[in-house]
Amino acid sequence: MRPRTRSLLAAATLACAGLAALDGAAAAAHRAPAAHPSRATLTVGEFNPFSGPDASFGPEMVGGCIPAVRLINLDGGVMGHPITCLVEDTRGDPADAVPAADKMMATVSNLVGVLGPSSDEALATVPLLNRGQVPMFVDTGQAAFDHSPYPYFWRITPADDVKGYALALWAHRAGYTRAAAVFGSDVGSQSDVPTLVKAFKQLGGHIVINQRIALDSTSYRTEVEKLVQARPQVIFTEVDPQTGATYLSELQQLHGLIPVIGTEVTLEAPWLKAVTGAIGAGAMARDFTGMQPYAPPSGPAWATFNGSLLHSSASVPQPRQWSQDPYSMTYYDGVNIMALAMLAARSTKPSRFNRDIPLVTEPGPGKVVVTSFAMGKAELAKGRRIQYVGAGGPIVFNRWHNSTGAFEAARLVGGQVKIIGEVTAAQIAQLSGH
Amino acid sequence: MGLILAAVGFGVITASILALAGVGFTLQFGVTNVLNLAFGSTMTAAAFVAYVVSQSAPLVVAVAAGGAFGAVFSVLVNRFVFMPFIHRGTRLFGMIIVTLSMGLVVQYSLQAIFGASFFSLPDIGGPTFHLGSFAITGPQVGILGLGLVAMACVHVLLRYTTLGKAMRATATNSDLARSCGIATDRVIDVAWAISGCLCGLAGVALALDVTAFTDTTGGDFLIPIIAVAVLGGVGQPYGAMLGALVVGVASEVAAAVISPDYKDAVAFVILILVLLVRPQGILAEVSGAKEVAS
Repeated sequence: MRPRTRSLLAAATLACAGLAALDGAAAAAHRAPAAHPSRATLTVGEFNPFSGPDASFGPEMVGGCIPAVRLINLDGGVMGHPITCLVEDTRGDPADAVPAADKMMATVSNLVGVLGPSSDEALATVPLLNRGQVPMFVDTGQAAFDHSPYPYFWRITPADDVKGYALALWAHRAGYTRAAAVFGSDVGSQSDVPTLVKAFKQLGGHIVINQRIALDSTSYRTEVEKLVQARPQVIFTEVDPQTGATYLSELQQLHGLIPVIGTEVTLEAPWLKAVTGAIGAGAMARDFTGMQPYAPPSGPAWATFNGSLLHSSASVPQPRQWSQDPYSMTYYDGVNIMALAMLAARSTKPSRFNRDIPLVTEPGPGKVVVTSFAMGKAELAKGRRIQYVGAGGPIVFNRWHNSTGAFEAARLVGGQVKIIGEVTAAQIAQLSGH
Repeated sequence: MGLILAAVGFGVITASILALAGVGFTLQFGVTNVLNLAFGSTMTAAAFVAYVVSQSAPLVVAVAAGGAFGAVFSVLVNRFVFMPFIHRGTRLFGMIIVTLSMGLVVQYSLQAIFGASFFSLPDIGGPTFHLGSFAITGPQVGILGLGLVAMACVHVLLRYTTLGKAMRATATNSDLARSCGIATDRVIDVAWAISGCLCGLAGVALALDVTAFTDTTGGDFLIPIIAVAVLGGVGQPYGAMLGALVVGVASEVAAAVISPDYKDAVAFVILILVLLVRPQGILAEVSGAKEVAS
C-alpha cells in the first residue's frame, strides 16, 4: 500500500514530471559534450502512475531517472548515444496502462528499457513489455512475480511478501514472542500478512490476534479493546496514515501504547506526520520502529546519486525529498545497470544487452566493484569485468530475476528518521528458504 | 460479554458524531429539498478552520469557529450557488451533480491551500474513565457532550419555538406554509445556517475523534451520514438521531462480534433490511403524523 493522492494533484504532478523529464533531457544534452549529437537518443520510459490514486509514485521515479541520465550524459552517453527519461503515465489503472504500453513501444524510437510498472498495472503490462523485448526494472511488490518467467523482468526492490520476514525477524531479535497483526483490509497491506504469520511462527512466536482493519473509520475503539484483551507484546502494522493515527491514539488514550513495528509505508512522510500529530513525538520515538528496504544514505554510490540529484533541481522539483528514498535510489540504479549492460554487450539493442544485466551486477572472482556509471564504463573500457553496487546497495539476481536485498529498521527521533539496525538478505533467505 | 457492552458504549460515541452530521444533513434536505453532497467537504473545511484558529486560541474557540464557519459558508453557498440553479428549474438529479461538484471544489481548494498532508487539532487531554471494560477518554467525553447539547438544542428549537414550527411546516409543505404567511425564504436561510452549523461542529468533532485529518476526511464520512439520514427517514431530525445510534452501535458491535473487516458492511446490511421493511425510514410515519398533529 502506498499513499493516496487525488487527481488534481496528480494532473499537476504529471505536468511537472513531464516538464521535468523534458527539461532534464535538454539540460543533460547541454552538458554532454562527449556524446555524439548525431547519434540517436536512447530513451528510458518512466512507466508508472503520474495521475490517479497512486500519482505519488511517478515523481519518485523522476527523482531516480533524471540524476542517472544526467551523469551518463555528462560522461559521454552510452557508446556516444545521449540518453533521456520519458514520462509514460499509466494512471495506476490497467485499462490505461495497456494502451500506454502499446503506444510507447510503437512510437518511441530507441526505447532501451523502462522503469516500472508498479503493482497497479504490472500483471497486465509485464507480459506486454516482455513480448516487446523491453527490459523493465519494476517496482511492483506483487508476490506473483517471485518466480517470474519473463526474461525482460528485473526486480531490485523487495517483494511485498518479503516484508513479512523482515518484520518477524526484527521482532524476534527484540525478544517479542506474542504479537498482533493490524493491517488494512486493502490488497497491498494484506499481501504482507501470510509470510509475517508464517515467519513469526517459524521463529517461535505467536500472532495472538490478526486484525483486518476497515480503513478510515471514525473509531477503532472496539478493535483496540480486542487487541488489548489478546495481550500482545508488539503490534505489526501497515495501514494508511489516518487509520494509523486514529487506531494508535485510541490505544494510547484507552490503555497506553505498546511497541509498534511497521512496514516501509509507516516510514513515509504523511504517515509519520499524521501519527506523530496523534500520539506525540515522544511516544513515536519510544514505541515505533519502521522497516524499509535497506538503502542507507551513505557510501560512494549514494553520494554520487545524491550529488547528481541535488544538481537536478531544474528538472526534479524539490530534489532533496528523494535523497533518502529507497525507490528513487533503485530507479537510479536500474538506469545505470541497463547502461552498463549495453556497454558490456557492446549493443544498445535490448535483445542483446538484456542477458548481460546480471553480468554487471553479480559478484565474482576478479570483478572490479564499481559504484557509478562512469567507474563502470572506465573499467569495462579496460577490458575488466565489473560488479555494480548501487545507491540501494549490492544487487544479486536469483534465477527469477529478483534481488531481495536487505531491510533496515528506523525510528523517528527529533523529527528525523534514524536507522537503528538491519535485517540482512541472508537472514531473510534463510527464513524464507529461497 | 464485557467486550460487547464496551462496543455498545463506543458505538454511542460514534453515534454522537453521526447524529450531529446526520441531523444537519437531513434538516437541510427536509427544509430545502437539496440533497447536499458537498456536506462532507464542508465538514472538512470547518475542521481546517478550527485547526487554523486553534493555533492561536483555545480549542473551545476553535470548535465554535468551526460551527460558525459551517453556518456562514452553507448560507452563502446556498444563496450564490445552489439557489440560482433552483430558480432555473434544475431538477433533483441536476442539483445532486451541482452539490457534488461544489464538494470537489471545496476539497481541491483545501488541498491547494493546505497541501496533501495530515493535520491534528490540539489534544484535549484529561483522564480516561473506566467502567468495567468500557473506557472513555477526555476527548470522547467532549465529543459526546457536544453531540448531546447540540441534539438538545435542535429538539428545543423544533418543538418549542416559532421558528422550529415554521421549519417543520416548510419541510412538510412549503407552498402551504407560504400561503399560511410563513416567510419560507427566510426559514430556508435559517435552516441552511443551523444545518451548516451542525455540519461544522460535526466536522470538528470528526477531526478530534480521528486525531489526524486531511482534505478527504469529511468526504469519506458522507456515505455513513446519508445512511443515517435515510435510515431515520429523510428529512426527519429525530429519525437521524435514532439512525445514528443504530449505525454507530451496530458497526462497533459487528467489529466486536464478527470482525473489524465487516464493520461498515454490517451497518449497511441493517440499512438495507430496515428499508426493505420500512422504505420510508424508521421514523418517517411517526414524524409525519406529528407534523399533521402540530
